[in-house]
Formats: sequence, C-alpha cells, structure tokens
Amino acid sequence: MKESIYIFSNGRLKRKDNSLLFETENGDNKFIPVENIKEIFAFGEIDLNVKVLNFLTQKEIIFHYFNYYGYYSGSFYPREHYNSGYMILKQTEAYLDQKNRFYLAKKFIEGAAKNCLKILKYYDRREKDLNKQIKEIEQLVTQLSNYEEINQIMAIEGQIKSIYYSCFDTIINNDDFVFDERTKRPPKNHLNALISFSNSLIYTYCLSEIYKTHLDPRIGFLHTTNFRRFSLNLDIAEIFKPIIGDRTIFSMINKNVITYKDFEQQINGIVLNDKGRKKFLEALEDRLKQTIKHSKIKNNVSYRRLIRIELYKLEKHLMDEEKYEPFIMDW
Amino acid sequence: MFIILYYDVTEKKCSKMLKTCRKYLQWVQNSVFEGEISEANLEKLKYELGKILDEEDGDSVIIYKFRTKKYTERQVLGIDKKEDTNFI
Repeated sequence: MKESIYIFSNGRLKRKDNSLLFETENGDNKFIPVENIKEIFAFGEIDLNVKVLNFLTQKEIIFHYFNYYGYYSGSFYPREHYNSGYMILKQTEAYLDQKNRFYLAKKFIEGAAKNCLKILKYYDRREKDLNKQIKEIEQLVTQLSNYEEINQIMAIEGQIKSIYYSCFDTIINNDDFVFDERTKRPPKNHLNALISFSNSLIYTYCLSEIYKTHLDPRIGFLHTTNFRRFSLNLDIAEIFKPIIGDRTIFSMINKNVITYKDFEQQINGIVLNDKGRKKFLEALEDRLKQTIKHSKIKNNVSYRRLIRIELYKLEKHLMDEEKYEPFIMDW
Repeated sequence: MFIILYYDVTEKKCSKMLKTCRKYLQWVQNSVFEGEISEANLEKLKYELGKILDEEDGDSVIIYKFRTKKYTERQVLGIDKKEDTNFI
C-alpha cells in the first residue's frame, strides 16, 4: 500500500537524485521515498518548482494543498494516466440520462443516510438515547423513493443531515464541543471546525482514489457538474463521511485526545491549530489503514480501499454490468 | 510487505546505492534501510541495485522480508536516526 505524506513544516520541496527532498526552514533535509507515496498533503508554506511538478506527474502523485487556516485550496492533479474515452462517454451518458442520474444520486443519499443510521444505532446501543431521531431518519429514507427530482431528494438529504447532526450533542456530551448548528466557511465553533476539516480531507482522499480509476472527477451525479470544480469526489464522499470522518471525530473527542486547546480563534471563526491538525490526521490515517471484513469480497480490506471499491462498482454500473449499490457498514 | 535492507559495496558505489534505496525506503543508518514496500516495487529495486552491484568487487545486499510489521519489535540503543517521514 502506498503511503500519504503530510507536510506541516515550511520549506522547499525539491527533486533530488530521482527522489523527493524536503528542506525545512531550519535546514533539515528529509528524503521522501518517492516510489512509495501516492499523495502529498501540504499544510505548510512550501516552495516548489516545475521540475518537481513534472516529477510528480511522472510518478503519478497528487499534490493537495491547504491554506493557512487548513482549508482545502486545491490539488495538483497530474495528467490522466488512465485515459478512457469510452468511460467518459458512459459517464456523461449516465449524467444526461435523467433516470440514470437520478438513480445514482438517490443511491448516494441512501448510502449516506444508512451509514449515518448505523452510527446512531451503535451509540443507541451504548445507552445514548437516540431512538426518536433514528425513527425519523428511517422514515425519511423510505420517502426517498417517492421523489423524481434531484432538488427534492437534496431537500430530503438536508433534513436527514440536520437530524443526524442534532444527535451529535447526545453522542459527544462534552461542554467544550457543543454542536449548536452547522456553520461553514468559517466554522463558528470547535465541533464545526472539526467536521469541516474532516470533510474536506475525505473529499481529497476520494479525489486521489478517483485518479487511480478511469472515472472523470468532473462529472458528478448528485452534485451538479459545473464549470469550476470536481464533483464526483463529493458524491462518493457522502457515503464515507459518516463512517470514516465522523467516527474518528467521536472517538477522538470522547477519549479526550483532542481538546479545546487544539483550536484557535481566527477573525470570525474557529479553526484547528497545527497541533490539532496533526493529531486529527494521525487518527484519520489510522482509521483509513484499519481493515474490516468485506462481506462480498470475503477478505480484509482497509477503509481506504473501500473508497476505491466503491468507484469500481460505479464503473461497473456505468458499463451496464452491475447495478450500483452503495456500501453500507455491516455491524 | 515490510523489509530491512543493508548493503556492503566498495566505496565508489556507496552513494549510488544510497540514492537508489532512498527512492523506495527510509534511511535508518549508513547502508541500512527499512520500510513498507510492494512486491512489484521490491522487484524494481532489486533490478536497479543489481545493475550497480559487482560480484567481483565482493559487493552484497541483504534483504529481510516480513509479511507485516506486526510481529517485529524494534529496539534502539543510543540515537534513533530514522525519522517519521509521513508527517513532516
């Protein structure tokens, strides 16, 4: 399994001896084994030149960069190495075909909602009283099939999400981390800052995985394709946000690994500081490497791998081989 | 797969070996490397090292393979020069 590299220090990324070298501000040299990495996350202030970009393209490494506040600002997405006109055609065809696009969009929401439910049920078994909310979400999921338009199911999704988020206070039960309401850009409290950070990371992990398949990240199904940004990774991330991101958040807060000291107040919002980011990433990395028994493959697969499997399932659907069914945690 | 690799080559070839290994593995000590590697990359590495090696000079490379790092225990006396490269 190729690794991810996270750079927090400031410095310069260089190509040296056909490998990568990171020179930190204080003159430390750190070699990065280039053949063994698939993506770089840059949180620090980093200089690099075209020579490095060329090299990254050659080695098919994606470079995700984040701004000073830890918000995702963009990715260096190297030239497609799995070029497939056939797949792009199939993908566009599915997008343009109202029925097919709607089917996929609905499946993404269904997958996300069912995974949220799994988590709520898990905490319900641990004596957090969430019965009412579980019933409400289940009710909304069954309603999904009555609707015929993307906007309508997006509205249902919004309702499901707001019920789901309202459970956070019960699950966490920590005065430092009250949920209040979902606030973004910038998040207004500690918990929202964590959720935003975790979601933006899951988007990038999905993007990295899409790069390894024939799919085109620009054509999404639930999220409307537009002129600006990638959208397929947002679709896929819906399914994994609860099972990868939110679970990591809960366990970190409940075990007091992350505390209010790991945050800092910015002009009009709250963001994680360097130490907090590092802690969270380490936990997330552990989670992604953790393996579970996959009921269909009958083998142990890591959470990271699950994302890729999801994309292969989507490819199969687009090629009319097998109907897409979203991944749902089975415990 | 997790491997530990060390080499003993004539002085002139040392830097070549170092540079090649650095692409795939993490440096631990002079002429010692370790790290997670895929089956395919190990073959690539062995091929590249094979081109540098010269038996007539008495060069050798030794590789220890482990299926996972799980059943290994790493003990260090003195300074551990290996750094965590995942989080820089």
